[in-house]
Amino acid sequence: MTLPSRRIVGGLALLAGIALYGNTAVAAEGKLYPSGPPNGVAYLRFVNLAPQEVTITSPAAKLALPTDEAHRAGEFDPVPPGVALTGSAQLGEATKPINLTLAANEFATVAVSADGADGVTLTVFRETPSDFNALKSSIGLFNADKGCEKAQLVAGDNHQTVIPDIAPGATGRRLVNPVNVALGVACGDPAQAVPAKLGQLSAGDRYSVFVVAKGSGHDVVAVRDEQAPFRP
Amino acid sequence: MTMSALLAGLTILVIGDSHMVTNGYLITTLHDKLIEQGATVDTYGMCGANAGDWVYPATVSCGKAERVGKESPDIDRKPSTPTYQVDALIAKSHPNLIVIEMGDTMAGYGQHDFPQAWIYQQVHALTGRIAAQNIPCVWVGPPWGSEGSSYHKTFDRVKEMSEFLATAVAPCRFIDSTQFSKQGEWPTIDGQHLTNAGYKAWGADIAASIDQLAPQVAKRP
Repeated sequence: MTLPSRRIVGGLALLAGIALYGNTAVAAEGKLYPSGPPNGVAYLRFVNLAPQEVTITSPAAKLALPTDEAHRAGEFDPVPPGVALTGSAQLGEATKPINLTLAANEFATVAVSADGADGVTLTVFRETPSDFNALKSSIGLFNADKGCEKAQLVAGDNHQTVIPDIAPGATGRRLVNPVNVALGVACGDPAQAVPAKLGQLSAGDRYSVFVVAKGSGHDVVAVRDEQAPFRP
Repeated sequence: MTMSALLAGLTILVIGDSHMVTNGYLITTLHDKLIEQGATVDTYGMCGANAGDWVYPATVSCGKAERVGKESPDIDRKPSTPTYQVDALIAKSHPNLIVIEMGDTMAGYGQHDFPQAWIYQQVHALTGRIAAQNIPCVWVGPPWGSEGSSYHKTFDRVKEMSEFLATAVAPCRFIDSTQFSKQGEWPTIDGQHLTNAGYKAWGADIAASIDQLAPQVAKRP
């Protein structure tokens, strides 16, 4: 099975298994048709920041996240708010439980990295974004490196700060103009920033830059956010 | 507002929700006004449809309608009918301009939380499809409607939705329908759908706005 189709199959299985959320448009009793998701919607994605494949298991399905840059971040899948979402993340022989309950409009990112005493760490980043703007690009900085006290997203040759001082386990997000600019992530000296390769930013699109420990330094994973459609 | 012939020679594809699916609604009033101004117009409406329904095949449960050129509206009230897909409509009409009327089906009336992330995904999916074909577009937001109905439409949520759409619909230009009337000025039959007089006024105001925007956005053949 090729990676793209595995990702699609895995994503659909996750959607069916964890969420069972969404269907074709159906009229609600008492009025002609619904207006938006009747019970609200939240979004959940998994990101592999480890050097080997990660398997996410829900009560109903499995999702494999490979290590290649194009597929290590899953889509934001719609999930029901206020409902416990359980499962596990496996990296090699190590497994960590997942137990999350999201609020309406919340976006959660579960990042799996190969560190910690047992060789796997889950970092849950929660956002409730309100910066949707079709004329701008939105970039989020997610710090999954416990050794990086203040992660900074910087831009250009002069390392201008785009997002400052994100603590480990935290995230920051900012709207920027949709340009093609060299971005990087620094933990300390901006001149030592590791490139975050997003290329030409598109208006209206959203992006995520992850910082993860690598040896004595850090590595960066940069992706465009994808949001799976939800049909109330 | 006076009309000009700035739309002459344009082919306009109009798509929308239930405000387009009954005789006397926008499928009549807006369509006729655009033709009056010289445009060739095809209108398609799907009751209860969200923006994503024009992109991802689904079914609608309360009807759909189409009106091609100067023909009469063809209204399908079957309880389950496949959705129109915007790519197919573009291929059929070859429009210079697309007009999207949508908002009420996505605003989350009756819900505490405004579902902006979901709305944005829906809107972005549709505008992305149109932008990929490099066709100019305008997006018409919802009118005030009436409060206290089973639709749970409120003036506050209509305002919130209109302000959100204004930031979310680019590269489409946004037409804010709340600017056309005062709250409660256009009576409704059910909280959401206007009287025929209301649809006449709304259709005329939208057409006038398109008339003003067309020189800036429409691609001439």
